[in-house]
Amino acid sequence: MNGSPGGTAIRFQGVTKRFPGYTAVQNISLEAREGSFLSVVGPSGCGKSTLLNMAAGLTQPSEGAVEIFGKPLTGINASAGYMFQQDALLPWKTVRGNILLGPELRGADAGQAEQSAREWIRRTGLEGFADRYPHQLSGGMRKRVAMAQTWIVNPDIVLMDEPFGALDVHTRLRMEGEILALWAGSRKTVMFVTHDLEEAIALSDEVAVLSAGPASRLVGVYQVGLERPRNLIDIKTDPRFVEIYRSIWGDLREEVLKSYERIQA
Amino acid sequence: MSASRRNQVPMAVWQVLLGAVLLLGWEAGAKTGVLQPFFFSRPSDVLARVWKMVAGGGIWEHLAATVAEASLSFLIGVSGGVVFGFLLARNRFLGDLFDPYIRIVNALPRVVLAPIFLLWFGLGIWSKVALGVTVVFFIVFFNTFQGVREVDPVMVNNARMLGASERQLIRHVLIPSALTWIFSSLHISIGFAIIAVVVGEYLGSSRGIGYLISQAEGVFDTTGVFAGMAILAGVVLAVGALVDRLERYLLRWKARDSDAARGGVS
Ligand SMILES: Nc1ncnc2c1ncn2[C@@H]1O[C@H](COP(=O)(O)OP(=O)(O)OP(=O)(O)O)[C@@H](O)[C@H]1O
Ligand SMILES: [Mg+2]
Repeated sequence: MNGSPGGTAIRFQGVTKRFPGYTAVQNISLEAREGSFLSVVGPSGCGKSTLLNMAAGLTQPSEGAVEIFGKPLTGINASAGYMFQQDALLPWKTVRGNILLGPELRGADAGQAEQSAREWIRRTGLEGFADRYPHQLSGGMRKRVAMAQTWIVNPDIVLMDEPFGALDVHTRLRMEGEILALWAGSRKTVMFVTHDLEEAIALSDEVAVLSAGPASRLVGVYQVGLERPRNLIDIKTDPRFVEIYRSIWGDLREEVLKSYERIQA
Repeated sequence: MSASRRNQVPMAVWQVLLGAVLLLGWEAGAKTGVLQPFFFSRPSDVLARVWKMVAGGGIWEHLAATVAEASLSFLIGVSGGVVFGFLLARNRFLGDLFDPYIRIVNALPRVVLAPIFLLWFGLGIWSKVALGVTVVFFIVFFNTFQGVREVDPVMVNNARMLGASERQLIRHVLIPSALTWIFSSLHISIGFAIIAVVVGEYLGSSRGIGYLISQAEGVFDTTGVFAGMAILAGVVLAVGALVDRLERYLLRWKARDSDAARGGVS
C-alpha cells in the first residue's frame, strides 16, 4: 500500500475550502512525509478539522487537490484511520464492541481480532471496563476507546483531532508516550491536530501553524530537530525545546491575538 | 423532597388508585342515579359481562379475529414502513420524488377508505388488515425516515473510515440509531392498528370485537359496548407491555432516567 520510502504520504496542493458564505482555509500547500509525525496548530476555528476531513476524504477541497501516497484522493481515504474531535463511539456497543468494530467491518478473523482487542484494552488502561457502554464511561475513557478503535485496524496514516484535550496530565502523558511508541515501531504517518503547542513540539517532526480564520493560510512549517526516542517529561525543559517553542509561539501568538480581537469586536 | 416521597410509594400504586377512584365514582354515580345506567351502564355490570363472555367462551372467536387482523396489519405496516423509511431517507432522489405523494396520501382520513376496502377485499379479514396497514405504515415510515436522517454524521463518518460498506452502515449504525424512533412509533402504531381493524369490523364484518360492539349498539346494550371496549383495552395494555419488554432489551445500551417514572411494567 505504501509508496517508495521517504515519499509523501499526504500532500495538500493549493487547497481552498469554502462553505456556503464562509471560506475556511485558503490556498494551503502542506506535506506529510511518509513515516513522519506532523502536527497542526492554530487558533480555534481556523480550519484544522477541515484539513483533516479533507485528508480523510470525507470532504472535498473547493480548489486544489489532496494526494495520498502520490495518488489523487477521490472518496474515502482507505489507508487512513481517523480519530475524530467529537465523540464518535457507537453508544449501543460496549467498549469491546466499539474496539472490535473496525476488524469486524473488515471481515477479520474473529479470534485474532478478539485477542488484539484485549491487547488494546490493556494498552489504553480500560481493563475491567470492556463490557461497559459509552454512556457509563468518563469523557477521557471514551477518548481512549476511540484511540484503540482507530489504531486497531493498523492504518498507514493516522489522523488525530485533539485526542488528548479531555485527559488529565498524567493520563495524557501516558497516552502521548503510547502514541509515540506505537508510531516509532510502525513508521506510520501521523497528522495530529492540537491546541497545545508544547504537545505539538514534544511529539512531532514538523509543526504546521495556521493563521486565524476566515480564509486562514499556512503561516509556516517548523522543523523539530530533537532526537528520538524522546522523554516527554524532561523534553519541555530542554533548551532547544524552549528555543523552538519561542520561535513558533512568536508567530502563533499574533494569530491567536488576531482571532481574540475578532471575538472581542 | 417530593421525589423522596414518590420513591416510597411506587407509581403503579398511584396509577391503580386513580383507576379505582374513577371506577368507584362511576359506580356510585350509577347507583345514586346521577348517571343513568341505561346510557352509562355500571362498572360492576360491565365486569360481570366481561366475565360471562370470557368464561362462556363466546369471546374467543371474536378476540382471535381482531388480534389476527391487528397483528397482520402491524407486521405488514411495520415492515413496509421500515423498508420504505430507510430507502427514502438514504436515497435523496427517491425521497424528494415521493415526498409530496406521501404527504397527500397521509393526509387522507383512513375511515373513508374503509368502505372502499370492503368493496375491494370483501367482508373477511383482509379489508380490515388493509385499513390497519394504511395507518401503521405511515406512522412507522415517518419515524424511521426521521430516525435515519437524524443519525449523528460523526458516527457515520467514523464507521466509514473504519471500513463500513453501505450495507454494514445500515446494520451497525443506521438501524440501531433509528431503533429509538422506530420503537416510539411501535407503541403508537399498535394502538392504532387495533383501532383501525376494530373500526373496520364495526363498519362491516361478521366477527371481531368491533362487530360485537356494533351488535350491542344495535340493541342499545350499553353494557355490551363497554364490555367490548374493556376487552380491547386489556389487549392493548398486554401488547404494549410486550413491546416495552422488547424495547428494554433492544435499547439496553441507553442511559435511562428513573424507571419508576415509566410505570413499572414487568
Ligand atoms: N459544514 C460547515 N459549514 C459551514 N461552515 C463550516 C462547516 N464546517 C466548518 N465550518 C467553519 O469552518 C471554520 C473552520 O472549522 P474547523 O472545524 O475546521 O475549525 P478548527 O480549526 O478545527 O477549530 P477547533 O480548534 O475549535 O476545533 C469554522 O469557522 C467553522 O465555522
Ligand atoms: Mg476542530
